[in-house]
Amino acid sequence: MNAEANAVFRPPVDQTAWLGTDLIPAKAYYDPDHFELERKAIFMRSWIQIGHVCELPGPGSFIRRELEFAEASILIVRGKNDVIRAFHNACTHRATQLVSEEQGSTNAFICPYHMWNFGLDGQLRSAPEFENFFSSKKDCALKQVAVDICGGLIFLNLDPSPAQPLREFLGEHLVDRLEMAPCAKATAFSEYVYEIDANWKLDYDNFQESTHLRFIHPRTGAPSFIAENPFGHPESYGFHGPHRTQTFWPKVDMGTTSPMQRTLLEAGLKFAMEKGLIPNPTNREYYALFPNFFLLGSPSQHFSHTVYPLTARRSRGVVRLYWIGEAQSASEMLAREYAFLVARDIHSEDVGVIRAGQRGLNSGALEHIQFQLMESLCRHLYLVSNDLIEKYKDEQAAERERAQ
Amino acid sequence: MTLQSLPSGFETLAPFVETWAATTTVARARRRTDSTPTERQAFFEAAAPLLEPAMAYLDARRLADLDAGERQLLNLMMSLSHVQMAVEIHREMEPQHAAFREAMAITRSATDFG
Repeated sequence: MNAEANAVFRPPVDQTAWLGTDLIPAKAYYDPDHFELERKAIFMRSWIQIGHVCELPGPGSFIRRELEFAEASILIVRGKNDVIRAFHNACTHRATQLVSEEQGSTNAFICPYHMWNFGLDGQLRSAPEFENFFSSKKDCALKQVAVDICGGLIFLNLDPSPAQPLREFLGEHLVDRLEMAPCAKATAFSEYVYEIDANWKLDYDNFQESTHLRFIHPRTGAPSFIAENPFGHPESYGFHGPHRTQTFWPKVDMGTTSPMQRTLLEAGLKFAMEKGLIPNPTNREYYALFPNFFLLGSPSQHFSHTVYPLTARRSRGVVRLYWIGEAQSASEMLAREYAFLVARDIHSEDVGVIRAGQRGLNSGALEHIQFQLMESLCRHLYLVSNDLIEKYKDEQAAERERAQ
Repeated sequence: MTLQSLPSGFETLAPFVETWAATTTVARARRRTDSTPTERQAFFEAAAPLLEPAMAYLDARRLADLDAGERQLLNLMMSLSHVQMAVEIHREMEPQHAAFREAMAITRSATDFG
């Protein structure tokens, strides 16, 4: 669909018909048993976005990430040869966590308990009284976790042998786009983190549909609500295996906002232009990577959001605005500050309704919820998740049968 | 906050330096949330007409070379951008949004500028 040739919004009926029209079981959004299935069938075996290479600037740089859904603490490390590896943050002696800092730079990971000393490659280098143990050093390396990078983004997979490498999981189109998106070149970021009483899909779905915009963001979203497209809907949707995309509407009306806001927002575009980020095929794209990450290719706001599940009814979100290079001028600094605070401000408007959605679900009174055509991305996330759960159940059944 | 001399032409902002020339994004967001509507309005009215002249003045200099007073001017303008959202966009809804913003902790900023 081309909005310029066809300037009035029309729902993308043809793109979404294949998803069907079924009601959606409400249980998927509050039930602890369903959540446990998602945890095992999805989160313990999918590629999960956890950071960006700019956080590991040189050999010895490391970050520690807590993945509550796995009760795991993971160290991601850039080695001497620039190879990025990930390890469980647990000494192979008696499992003590090695690192309490969130990030840093080091030559070795040394266990505070009995001074076991591990290299950046995870190998055990030395341990007091090692001659009294009953293992060889090579069997005492840190437990490794699968890690891979695409477009500067770091992904982990907790499956000891992931079913697919990251790039195969993302598919050629998304790999290509992620690598050309501005975020791939980022050197810094601003970040805010929140916890919310909401199922991870309920929270994530808020960012997958546009109908709520004019009700929840009547002022902050005003430039998107134009006569040809009064809800500020996207121009089109795309489906790529378990992942999905939106292409935002090409036109906004900045005349609906204050002159100062207009100046501050347009400054961001000016710097993007100077950096050669416009035009870029990702400029109006939204990339939702299964299960819980999305990225905007927007030239002035390289915005990413990851929703980590904590329990069936609670999630943690990490939102980042990535930047390429240091700000070169006072105006560029101001434009970055403003883009970041506006993102947080707009997001804050969503918190109340997302929490209210969870409270409405928790009693179990509603057996179903429903998605309209313009909530097709939410439907797709549910369907993909449900397929993986069914597949997981089949595997478990087959395993039980073999055991008998 | 020590009062440095603001660049010539921006002296009228001196009474706002102590409250609003905060050096980190976290502090600027906090000042906005902690301020009264009257305080925000007074700062906005004094600073808004100076936004464009201030940025023209600062952009004529290298960011790394800004002196203490010039840095305070930039931090004032960054605070103005926070206050603008409250005064011009959220208006009477600002207190309600402030409560929700509190749930979103700023954990890193690329625009902290002491």
